[in-house]
Amino acid sequence: MNLNKKECLAMLLAGGQGARLGVLTNDVAKPAVPFGAKYRIIDFPLSNCINSGIDTIGVLTQYRPFELHQYIGNGQPWDLDRLNGGIFVLPPFMRAKSGEWYKGTANAIYQNIDFIDRYNPENVVLLSGDHIYKMDYAEMLAEHKKNHADCTIAVLDVTIEEASRFGIMELNKNGEVIAFEEKPKQPKSTKASMGIYIFTWEKLRKYLIEDENDKDSENDFGKNIIPNMLNDNQRMFGYQFEGYWKDVGTISSLWEANMDILHGTSGLNLGDDKWKIYCRNTAEPPHYVANSAVVSNSIITEGSIIYGTVKESVIFSSVTIGKGAYVEGAIIMPGAVIMDGADVRYSIVGWNAVIGKNAKIGETQPPSKAGEWKISVVGPDYKVADGQVVPANVMIGG
Amino acid sequence: MNSNTMSVIFASDNESHLNDLTLHRTTASLPFGGRYRLIDFVLSNLVYANITTIGIITRNNYSSLMDHIRMGRDWNLNRKNSGIAIFPPFVLNTAHDIYKGKIEALYSLRNFLEGAKEEYVVVTNSNIAFNIDFDEVEKFHHDKGADLTVLTHRTTDINPRKYVVSADKNNRITDVRFPIASDSDEQLSNLNIYYIKKDLLISLIDNAYAHGSYDFEKDILQKNLDNLYIMSYEVTGYVAVIDRIPSYFKHSMELLNMDVRNELFYKNATILTKVKDSVPTRYLDGANVHNSMIADGCVIDGTVENSILFRSVKVQKGAVIKNSIIMENGIIMENAKLNYVISDKDVIVQPTRELSGFESYPIVIVKGKIV
Repeated sequence: MNLNKKECLAMLLAGGQGARLGVLTNDVAKPAVPFGAKYRIIDFPLSNCINSGIDTIGVLTQYRPFELHQYIGNGQPWDLDRLNGGIFVLPPFMRAKSGEWYKGTANAIYQNIDFIDRYNPENVVLLSGDHIYKMDYAEMLAEHKKNHADCTIAVLDVTIEEASRFGIMELNKNGEVIAFEEKPKQPKSTKASMGIYIFTWEKLRKYLIEDENDKDSENDFGKNIIPNMLNDNQRMFGYQFEGYWKDVGTISSLWEANMDILHGTSGLNLGDDKWKIYCRNTAEPPHYVANSAVVSNSIITEGSIIYGTVKESVIFSSVTIGKGAYVEGAIIMPGAVIMDGADVRYSIVGWNAVIGKNAKIGETQPPSKAGEWKISVVGPDYKVADGQVVPANVMIGG
Repeated sequence: MNSNTMSVIFASDNESHLNDLTLHRTTASLPFGGRYRLIDFVLSNLVYANITTIGIITRNNYSSLMDHIRMGRDWNLNRKNSGIAIFPPFVLNTAHDIYKGKIEALYSLRNFLEGAKEEYVVVTNSNIAFNIDFDEVEKFHHDKGADLTVLTHRTTDINPRKYVVSADKNNRITDVRFPIASDSDEQLSNLNIYYIKKDLLISLIDNAYAHGSYDFEKDILQKNLDNLYIMSYEVTGYVAVIDRIPSYFKHSMELLNMDVRNELFYKNATILTKVKDSVPTRYLDGANVHNSMIADGCVIDGTVENSILFRSVKVQKGAVIKNSIIMENGIIMENAKLNYVISDKDVIVQPTRELSGFESYPIVIVKGKIV
């Protein structure tokens, strides 16, 4: 029993493999993938939680969880080392008579009903570990309560072309959800679900149990829980979000989101002191830019050493860019070494990878159509030989 | 493994004369190296050697130090057994006045020293940037059968207020004195770091205090050269003693040398400091940066050469910073020009202002000032 009842608790789905990120998620779960020179993807939902006043978070892990567990630790970097509440990693576990992997998003929460019941929350926020955005869940919760909703879904306007990739909703003039379709071929609206939900716990608990008993269910929120609640005419509302949000589940979207940090117009501002993004910091001295270096329109963090040219790039910690090396439009992850004379453009170089002397990685010509860069990826720890050429749109290593 | 050594750190000292840079802070909390405070170096070295029972003695201006250290978590010193304690003056009712010297200060810490389970103690100043292994010091102390080991280093940078020592070929110290004009260029300088058995320290302190003495070097070191085995452990690696503005400037600029950085930051201990969650540094179109060390959180749209920028410094378009040190939150506005300047925290240099000092005499802009 826990007498310290929580008004709102967050459950963060962090178990996905992120197969579309290829070699980057061979050994780590997607939420642990580095982002924005010093962060990991999971830092965004975790920081949003603490900034929103949510101090009890269950992180559901399954795929390659070790790195993620180590990174989260006791939650101290996010101020989540609490006497009552805090952060809990929840991998699948054995029970007296059974035990199974998380079959789907709904099943993952179902298997942790006991955990949630310990805090007896009125509401549960359901989050994903693969989105880059800053959002005040407290405002969304206020809407949820004002509407006496059973479920509130965060909604973002997308273009009609993008709409087929999302769960698409139709809302009435009161903001009530009247229809929901997961990845529709012919979208009827441009209101996309951001994969951020607030449920009244009592109601969600009931639907999770019903869903588990339904042998035909895929145990998925988008495919089962939301449609079931809608069919039963539960009170479901959309919560309109305006601001930067990006699903970084693919190489090109991960690359774009990193580049968005460089451009003030994108709306992704990490430098807001009132909404800090927290992360586990490395203990490295400030970065050093040598006499021979040329650096512009880039972000660089501690421990890196720059001898070459860096343009329009995101440089993580402890990276070395050698003399005469040229780096443009690239994301260079922690500990990677770009050796002298190497040329790296429109690429992602994984952590601790080495690009040999005078090697050439990625697109060398401008794209035929604006915005159509084909990103090359060098996997973590991979060594590209001296002089080796890795063309555009290629993934190596892993 | 648990260490059998504890430590007492002095946050300020009588040798240092850092003038405007220590108006509002102790020497220990003087910003150094883009993101550190001076005390980070000795603290990190102690933590590396698993010395985790640490008392810090302060005298005045210690709020910045308290804010920096907090519970010691960033050095992994927030422990159940051992950990860090800060002692402001007057903390014990045995002290009648703010202490005059180390002897009185250590005397007021008698309970802390006696209460700790460790048998040995490192007594140290906090004005040195270095990266040493205290395990080696401990080993030296025992191998030599020393009663008291004094850390020293050879230097030509002689501070007239600071003791130099002479040692014989077995490293036994034969003389402790102030430098004099006829001294040769290079001297063995006392680093004010001592390794000693705790019981012996307490008895020396008790005896000195009873005689009204307060100067550790004069009243304990000098007087016991014949009675005790006082040995010199010469630190041969990189040692930056920060005791005057020129030495602060010189040693800061040495950080632009890769060999110095490698030794200071990576040789033994990882140098730990307070985490501030700054964003990565952003280079804009007008950035033109050469031979400089840049901490996180900066936004650079101007020229920076041979300089050190601390966290969250803004360099606006057309600004030119050369041979300078700009501490946290400095804003150097459009077309301002700085050469040989040390700008303390929270300084604003307005557009087109020009300031130029000399290598031997850099201009110091006091914390929070607007130029």
